[in-house]
Amino acid sequence: MRLQHWFYAIPLRLKSLFLRPRVERDLDDEVEFHIEMQVRELIAAGMPEQEARFQARVQFGAQALIKDECRDQRRLQLFETLIQDIRYAVRGLRRAPAFALTVALTIGLGLGVNTAVFTIFNAYVLRPVEVPDPYSLYEAFWSNRTGVRSFTASEFEGLRRERKLSMFTDVYSSRSLQIRLNSHPSFGELVSGNYFHLLGVRPALGRMLTPEDSWAPGRQPVAVLSYSAWQSMFGGDPAIVGKKVLAGGYPLEVVGVAREGFIGLLEVRQDFWAPITLLPQLDPDRAESLDAGMYGRAGAIIRMFGRLKSGVSVTQAEAALFTAAPLFTSDRAAADRPIGAVLRSRATNVPVSSQAVENLLPIFAAFGLVLLIACANVTNMMLARTMARQREIGIRLSLGAARARLIRQLLTESIVLALPSVLVGYLISDGILELGMRAMWATIPGEFAEFIRIAPLTLDWRVFAFMMAAAVTTAFLFGLAPAIQATRTSVVQTARGDFGNEFRPSRFRNALVVAQIAGCASLLICAAVMLQGANRVSLMDTGLRTRGVIDLEIREQSRSRVLAALASEPLVEKVGASSQVPLDGGFPAAQVSRTGDPSVIYANFDQASPEFFEVFGIGVDRGRNFTQEEARTGAPVAVVSKTLARRMWGAGDPIGQSIKLQRDKNSHIPGEIPFQEMTVVGVVNDINTGMSDSDGQRTFVFFPGSSATKGMMLAIQVKGDVEAARVRIDDLLTKTDPGAVNYIHKMDQFKAARVYPLRVAWWVSSAVGGLALLLTVAGIYGVLSYLVTQRAKEIGIRMALGASRGEVVGLVLRQSLKMVFIGLGIAVVLGAGVSQLLGSQFLLMRGLSVTPYIGTIALVFVAAMAATLVPSRRAVRIDPMTTLRCE
Amino acid sequence: MSRPSDLVQGTLDLLLLKILALEPLHGFAIVQRLKQVSGEVLQVSDGSLYPALHKLEQEGWIMAEWKTSELGRRAKYYSLTRLGRQQLAKETASWERLSGAINVVVNLKEA
Repeated sequence: MRLQHWFYAIPLRLKSLFLRPRVERDLDDEVEFHIEMQVRELIAAGMPEQEARFQARVQFGAQALIKDECRDQRRLQLFETLIQDIRYAVRGLRRAPAFALTVALTIGLGLGVNTAVFTIFNAYVLRPVEVPDPYSLYEAFWSNRTGVRSFTASEFEGLRRERKLSMFTDVYSSRSLQIRLNSHPSFGELVSGNYFHLLGVRPALGRMLTPEDSWAPGRQPVAVLSYSAWQSMFGGDPAIVGKKVLAGGYPLEVVGVAREGFIGLLEVRQDFWAPITLLPQLDPDRAESLDAGMYGRAGAIIRMFGRLKSGVSVTQAEAALFTAAPLFTSDRAAADRPIGAVLRSRATNVPVSSQAVENLLPIFAAFGLVLLIACANVTNMMLARTMARQREIGIRLSLGAARARLIRQLLTESIVLALPSVLVGYLISDGILELGMRAMWATIPGEFAEFIRIAPLTLDWRVFAFMMAAAVTTAFLFGLAPAIQATRTSVVQTARGDFGNEFRPSRFRNALVVAQIAGCASLLICAAVMLQGANRVSLMDTGLRTRGVIDLEIREQSRSRVLAALASEPLVEKVGASSQVPLDGGFPAAQVSRTGDPSVIYANFDQASPEFFEVFGIGVDRGRNFTQEEARTGAPVAVVSKTLARRMWGAGDPIGQSIKLQRDKNSHIPGEIPFQEMTVVGVVNDINTGMSDSDGQRTFVFFPGSSATKGMMLAIQVKGDVEAARVRIDDLLTKTDPGAVNYIHKMDQFKAARVYPLRVAWWVSSAVGGLALLLTVAGIYGVLSYLVTQRAKEIGIRMALGASRGEVVGLVLRQSLKMVFIGLGIAVVLGAGVSQLLGSQFLLMRGLSVTPYIGTIALVFVAAMAATLVPSRRAVRIDPMTTLRCE
Repeated sequence: MSRPSDLVQGTLDLLLLKILALEPLHGFAIVQRLKQVSGEVLQVSDGSLYPALHKLEQEGWIMAEWKTSELGRRAKYYSLTRLGRQQLAKETASWERLSGAINVVVNLKEA
């Protein structure tokens, strides 16, 4: 019904809007026709023509009024006055180009940084992946008490076989692996054959994988390359289809190249896709568990993606999936059984979740604050401007203009004023992103660049809508208060010709500046806290000597060949081994107790070879290192860290004591403890690979293993230039045994990667804080200049009465100091709150000193005084005679 | 022609819709027709006719078309839309309810 109404109404409204002359002519014609008909009727009734014409018009009534009533029916007055207002605003602003430009730049700056952030947010969280119908794509999980887990391959097959996946139109399984493609480090995704069909991704070359490719296990060694891998690894070879590539040393025939831009749905960009049935060949170390399907063994896990049928809700699908759980998981230990099924949307690069938004909130808040500070500046400028327009507004009010109408007009003006800042903001945002990307590529620890999934940062309608919405909101923020203030003038006063002297919104203006100072100082305090945190982490002694050490992770079947090759390589000084890579992730945890003592402490545990301690320069404090014999056989002995020894035995001698170890059930990091009870043979110096300086991080138990032990990563001490050695070892091993190397990194890079996010946080927060400071300085300057102009008469009189220059400067300075002190006071309280919050979130931010506060306060204070300088000099230069004569 | 004090408030829309339901007419003819069918009882002033017509048009109940009139001049003819027909039915029903009720009250026997 309503819809039908608009079906008729919209064309009519549009017509009266855009074809106004025609609509007006129609109205005239219609009325004229009516009168003409009346005339004819009167003549027919015997009236002389002259009189008939007169009578007809009299009968019709007040034409202008009736026509106006007809026009009112179009219900476009609102719109028409809006257009009037816009015209008026544009005319007014054309007369004040400097003002308009300043506003555009100020708001544009604030808008620009926010747009940059939004563009990134949009690219990762809001913009859907570029496949057909992205919003039907979901990844399914079981949920259990500790969180969610993916499916095992056998569960997946079972669900499919038993037709328990009817809520999806189609599903595919996926396993991602990091593998060498020929000699290039790459990410590959092993998928069911329907993958490309399901996602609707077309080939750029050749063909995509088909279900036939994944039927017979391992029979069809084929692969599809990503467009970017084809370009970067194979030089865009047009004859690539049909060629063989080595994935981890295993030959695959390239059957096609995916269309440009498609990099899969996973967290990192994928370089190639192969049938999941090739898992035993491509990931042999974990392949045996593919069919075993036992939870807890990493190799069994696959990820399941599907397209949800339309009309099926997520909750329905989750419930339906969960009903199938007992079929496949009843043999599990109670703790491992699912307590539900979870579907997560894969429509965007980063699944939208309240968690994601919560994490990003502080960032949005910080950037939003910059825009608010810019807004405050413009508000002050607007206040000054409306002061100057007091006369005009007063006259209009006394001539009967409605206040609401005037406020509306002033707000329209604000919006017109804010719109050019969208353009400025876009240019600034573009520049920031360009610069930011360059800075990131220039500074990121090199070997980690490949892990980054770059989403294209482009302007789309969401970004544009954001900018428009932000600009209009901004216009209201900076326009509303001045509009309300300005129209408050009493008509009686204006009628007397008394304009504006009663109107002194100086309190409001001062409050704005105080808020600006508080805002920018809080941002700067946060930046300083980040800097201190980053410095603390980079200065923290890990207890590990990483210089000249290379981390090497290899395929299990190549272990003996790799060890032999390394033994004969002159650049290799020493090869250590450990079950975990220090500084890359954490260590598994265990509960440690003394035999016969029920009290436990939590400790990290690790299996390490005797050379491990030597390679990383971890000195033996007491007792001895493992022997080669213990390493080879895996004897029930342990080496503990100094901190653990102190916490367990105090001053007593740990050597020869026996300890019990039990795996901590809450620890997510996999690792097995070979013996429940072991004898301590040595104490080594502390290492700390965590992010906080606490005893818990330094508590370690090591038990023996060797570089020949299955699953151990190798830590190689090399001679000479470490990068050269890395490349050489990589080449050597690839030549000896293609596919042997899973990855090879310099340990120093891990160290850098640890601090990098903190450094970025510092850079960003200080840039934001700096920008806020700049805007605030401009704000202080503006308000004080205005103050000096406004009080010129008073200052002139004071000077005429003999006030010294110092006293005049003091007048301005007092005003400035008052604002600065209040603002800084608020900032310290706010900053303390924020760093308290940071401290509760991140251990390393805890218990920081007062240095960031003092530094920030000093900086803001100096900047504020600098902003005071020019206005106070102007105050001093006031010539009493001139000012007084002006009055 | 006087202001239609004799025209019950709010019934003009109903009358116009009904007249136009019979055949498309221009404004002048609507006035004539109304006078004619009501035996000169119902008179609508030109001052309220055109705003009312324009309102009905904007509501989508009637639509206008320029056609050559019987006298060879271009005139704006209004005709009922599908939406207007529904509206007419609605207004007729409510008018009948109202007038019926008024009749009942007016015809009450005085004691």
